Amino acid sequence: MLSFSTHNIIMLEFVNITKTFSSDILKKPFTAVDGLSFTIDAGKTIGFLGANGAGKTTSIKMAMDFIRPTSGEILYGKELGNKKIEAFSKMGYLPERPFFYPHLTGFEFCQYMGALSDISAKEVKKQIKKWAPEFKIDFALDRQIKTYSKGMLQRVGFLATLIHDPKLIILDEPLAGVDPVGRKELKDIIEELKLLGKTVFFSSHIVSDVEEICDNVLFIKNGKLLFDGSVDKIINENIKSEYRVRYYKDNELCKILVEDKEKNKSIESLIKDGADIISVEQERMSLEQIFYNVK
Amino acid sequence: MLNSGLKKSLVIGKYTFKEIIGSKILYNTLFLGMALLLVTYVAFSFTYGEPSRVALDFGMGCLALSSVGIAIFIGVGILSKEIDNRTVYMIVSRPVPRFSFILGKFLGLSLVLILNIIILSLITLSLFFLIGGTFSPLIFWTIVFIIIESLVVLCLVGTLSIVTTQTMSVLYTIMLYILGHSIDTAMTTNFVKNRPEIQALLDGYHFVLPAFYKFNIKSFLLYENNLSLAYLGSTFSYGLFYIIFLILVSIYIFEKKNLD
Ligand SMILES: Nc1ncnc2c1ncn2[C@@H]1O[C@H](COP(=O)(O)OP(=O)(O)OP(=O)(O)O)[C@@H](O)[C@H]1O
Ligand SMILES: [Mg+2]
Repeated sequence: MLSFSTHNIIMLEFVNITKTFSSDILKKPFTAVDGLSFTIDAGKTIGFLGANGAGKTTSIKMAMDFIRPTSGEILYGKELGNKKIEAFSKMGYLPERPFFYPHLTGFEFCQYMGALSDISAKEVKKQIKKWAPEFKIDFALDRQIKTYSKGMLQRVGFLATLIHDPKLIILDEPLAGVDPVGRKELKDIIEELKLLGKTVFFSSHIVSDVEEICDNVLFIKNGKLLFDGSVDKIINENIKSEYRVRYYKDNELCKILVEDKEKNKSIESLIKDGADIISVEQERMSLEQIFYNVK
Repeated sequence: MLNSGLKKSLVIGKYTFKEIIGSKILYNTLFLGMALLLVTYVAFSFTYGEPSRVALDFGMGCLALSSVGIAIFIGVGILSKEIDNRTVYMIVSRPVPRFSFILGKFLGLSLVLILNIIILSLITLSLFFLIGGTFSPLIFWTIVFIIIESLVVLCLVGTLSIVTTQTMSVLYTIMLYILGHSIDTAMTTNFVKNRPEIQALLDGYHFVLPAFYKFNIKSFLLYENNLSLAYLGSTFSYGLFYIIFLILVSIYIFEKKNLD
């Protein structure tokens, strides 16, 4: 039985979720997700980061009720209604490595998904008209899906995810298998969804993608939550006390790193030596560096 | 909720049907039909006596076997392929109860199967009439029972494929098919007749495992014995109940299943 949160601004909440798999009776069960708690707040774009095998897909499968947690509880927000069926009509989901019915055309597939979400054929057409050009897939919608490339599958899958205008959008590695131009386009679409007031939750390995488009980030390792908070906050917390000074001396561009306390003194002595200061910038760690350092 | 669930089943059935028609599996059936025709024609050319009767016997036998073959072929992937390919996620992530998925899948595939059998029957019957056969109502019933038998096989192999591998579910289905056809012969042996406890066991078989021999009315057809309406009716309902039973079992398993 699904439970519902009473909170207004929460779309989805994980309360102390653990999932263990026991493939072998003799072996010790494997813990894929370990005491995971977090909330997905309405209107936010949240990145779900973690290395291969960290437990991202397993968590998402539990959120979608494909598999059930070993312990803990998943709460659906009031915004999503009071019943499972109602909640799922307001959620959109894109699986990782999407694979769809190969002998349906892209258009038929979208109609199929629309009909399952109680959307009229007319409404489906309207949504396709809006989104297909943005996904750059409109030219291929009358072809059978088996002729699609990996990136095209990802795009038509994403399109079908939006076909019923969901409030909460859950994407499992939406940018995987898409070329750099495509990544940019898909990221633009995610940002547009945010402007439309949607809540987007997506998993990724690529820290810079998350840094670019997310408000919040969840970082998990071996099924445990290591960080949950805003992207700005984690970057500000990890700002270094070092400054990078760039200057010209004897017609050569030089740069040095100086500690916060010594920066004024060093600059003074540089000027005394006849250097021409160009810039003084605080050293900033990217999310990438921060997470690589997290133990 | 039940109402909207049934509506979703119809949607799933419709697109399952579309997907299979798009996969051009029907061409294979036409091919099979031609082969059937050829074999039947050759068989009857080499026999003396009443050619149309031989053609009917042989044709209906081949029809029954190929229908069951098609049922196994399309039925084994019905649910397991959806789970392996993760296409099932696209459906259960929508406001669709899990029972609708099972029901819709069986609905769509049953339609495909029935269409296949009708095509094969028309091919077989046209040859039969061409060489001078005459129509009897039992021909109609034979085909109806071939359809029901194939539907039972379809549901059987589909249900088994959720709990075991595809290969094993095909093997189990073939085993049960052979068993279900030989059980009535076993009942008539002296060995069984003299042992009431074994007889009781075999009687119970009908309630648990499918008694396929019931659907085989070919010998009645050949010797023009009339079959009572009561027999036809009870066999028909036996098949129907068995199909419903299998679908309920697979719904029960699927509701509990972890989809990973
Ligand atoms: N059905 C299962 N049975 C046993 N172990 C499983 C099962 N599903 C997942 N696991 C294990 O759980 C762990 C987490 O897997 P999961 O797919 O959630 O990782 P992920 O974070 O999505 O990784 P990736 O970035 O590679 O997609 C892995 O070690 C995986 O082997
Ligand atoms: Mg994953």
